[in-house]
Amino acid sequence: MAQLYLQLQAKLMRDYYKDFSKYAKGRAPSRKVAWVTAFTPVEILEALGIGYIYPESYAAVIAASGQEQGLLRESGRNGLCADCCAYSGCFNGALAAGTAPRGLPPRPDVLIATNNQCNTLPGWWNLLAEGYHVPLIVLDYPGEGMGKERALPYVTAQHKGLIAEMEGLSGNRLDEGRLAELIRNSRRSVAAWDRAAGLLADRCVDPTALFDGISYLITSRCRPETAALYDALYGIQAGSPLADGERTPVFWLGYPLWYHPQRYLKELLPDFRICGSNYITWWSLDYDGEEPMEQLFSAYNYTFLNLSAETKRVRLKECIDASGAKAAISLRNKSCKCDFVSAKYISLPQVELEIDMIDRGYLDMDRARRQMDILRETV
Amino acid sequence: MNILSLSGSIPEQVCDTIRFFGHGGSQRISHYCQYAADYISRVLEDEGVDGVVFPRSCDSSRTIGSYLEGCGKFVHQFHVPARRDAAAARYLAGEIRRYKEAVEGHYGTGITDMEERTGLVNGRNRALGRLYARLPELCYGAYLDMLHGLLQRPLRGQRVPEDLPACACPEGPRVFVLGSTQAGTGLIRQIEEAGLHIVGDRLPESRRLFSVPEVSTKGDLYENIAESLLAGLPSPSQDAFAEILKEDRDELVKKQVQGVIYITQKYCEPYDYLFPAYERMLDGLSIPVLRVTETGGGAGNAALAIGTFADML
Repeated sequence: MAQLYLQLQAKLMRDYYKDFSKYAKGRAPSRKVAWVTAFTPVEILEALGIGYIYPESYAAVIAASGQEQGLLRESGRNGLCADCCAYSGCFNGALAAGTAPRGLPPRPDVLIATNNQCNTLPGWWNLLAEGYHVPLIVLDYPGEGMGKERALPYVTAQHKGLIAEMEGLSGNRLDEGRLAELIRNSRRSVAAWDRAAGLLADRCVDPTALFDGISYLITSRCRPETAALYDALYGIQAGSPLADGERTPVFWLGYPLWYHPQRYLKELLPDFRICGSNYITWWSLDYDGEEPMEQLFSAYNYTFLNLSAETKRVRLKECIDASGAKAAISLRNKSCKCDFVSAKYISLPQVELEIDMIDRGYLDMDRARRQMDILRETV
Repeated sequence: MNILSLSGSIPEQVCDTIRFFGHGGSQRISHYCQYAADYISRVLEDEGVDGVVFPRSCDSSRTIGSYLEGCGKFVHQFHVPARRDAAAARYLAGEIRRYKEAVEGHYGTGITDMEERTGLVNGRNRALGRLYARLPELCYGAYLDMLHGLLQRPLRGQRVPEDLPACACPEGPRVFVLGSTQAGTGLIRQIEEAGLHIVGDRLPESRRLFSVPEVSTKGDLYENIAESLLAGLPSPSQDAFAEILKEDRDELVKKQVQGVIYITQKYCEPYDYLFPAYERMLDGLSIPVLRVTETGGGAGNAALAIGTFADML
């Protein structure tokens, strides 16, 4: 099972990064390339044979390789404010410096941003568009405010517009059967991921594997190998012993720290164990509906970060209850204001740590240690 | 009703709102726009405010509602589309209708004067446009003070003056001001006291406010208002950097601007992302730029920076 997992992981990684290598060797990619944000309806792009690159994910890779500080400074020298999302600082810094751990991504033929996670991304993509002079498409997802009867036609008009533009770019015609098949793949990936991630609540599962493992649900969710990968992950983890009852189950409320070897502050948690995290549920998109356009609407209009404060609170409570957490670590993330979920409504002992998911310089470890001591005493 | 509004994108044709300007309050939120935090403070602390309407156009405004939960006041988030095509106009028309119905439902009143209000907004904007055209000869600080006062009054009480005090430094270097809504006019006064001559702007409460085309009262009024709102000078939150850069390049050249002062709030990401592209555009025109960041209650040592900038020009 472990071997199958590694093989699938290697294949997905190879496929995702293959255009990076070609670009590094000075060759043009074999297909058109879009730079997309993490909640873009990539099933449409996949169906049309367009490659897609996630700058946010690549910034996480850069931070994990320990190169983010120099690149953040580089983007600052190019006018980007240090208060901006560090994903953009890190990635734009790599573009300016002309270097990154796996080389530079292939030049985009189109830029596609969505506002179903935050409003920062369309701004970042506008800035990228000024540098590359390629078409920019911003998809506007209104969330819950308007009601489905008005939001569905608005979003569907945009998805159809996106299809038309991408058909023009790729020279391919959309096969609706293929689109439906890719959405089925995404659904299977989500279901398999939820099953694997659900083991974190009561099994001795390494949270690092999940913080890293979810990247395939972001970058490859409509690929058939992704569900197989997560089935294999489930197979590996289901055999783990039950969680250590001596350690306090704690909920990790926010992003993984990409620069940290374990993606969370393991050194501060010797007597705690991570039993859940909202981050690892964000891509559990619900492709609800009868036909592809409605399914894409449901999945991408109702992403967690695009929900109303009230719905987010309810979902979060369900998530925390299911994890069995007795305490929570809430992260106030410099880069992501929309991630400041209503932690005040969580009726668990909790600490709020000031962090950035990319910029390691943001965390005051001494202060965090003192805060964890207080949490330990409270629990 | 005393509804406090946060943005120029809230359609004034629906009902009166008090436009928020100002500093102060108890809310301090990490990595969060202090202007938005001050708005939240005002809503929570001012008993005279019984309702709020704000957009969803930036990360701070997007989450305002979560800080106002349980405040017991009318809380409405108005969604201005991030796009400006025909589908967005139809969607925005529906959003304006939803806003009107929410006000009616909360306050138990029927709104029946939207046509009349449309005429008033059209007339006021025409008058503001005329005044703006005379800016090179007028005191910009007085102009902005007038605007801030105007937008905090009911529409029927808004009177645009025919004239304003003359500019004190008409021979000073010609500068252009842009950025997010000014919480106050202190920085603007500092700019003028440094001997700089403000000849134009791209501020939400000024040129962007009256840049919208006149709204026709013939046909579907909601669609007409929506089309007008989307046709004004766009905000950087509206997926329009290329358009902003082109429009401002033309304006700067036309007004023979010698320097630009870019004023933003701390943690105002739409303007933070626009800045590098704007700076490159200015480089191409050989126009220097001074960036000033407001952190709530002022801009630190802005006076020194502005003075130095003035000396350089």
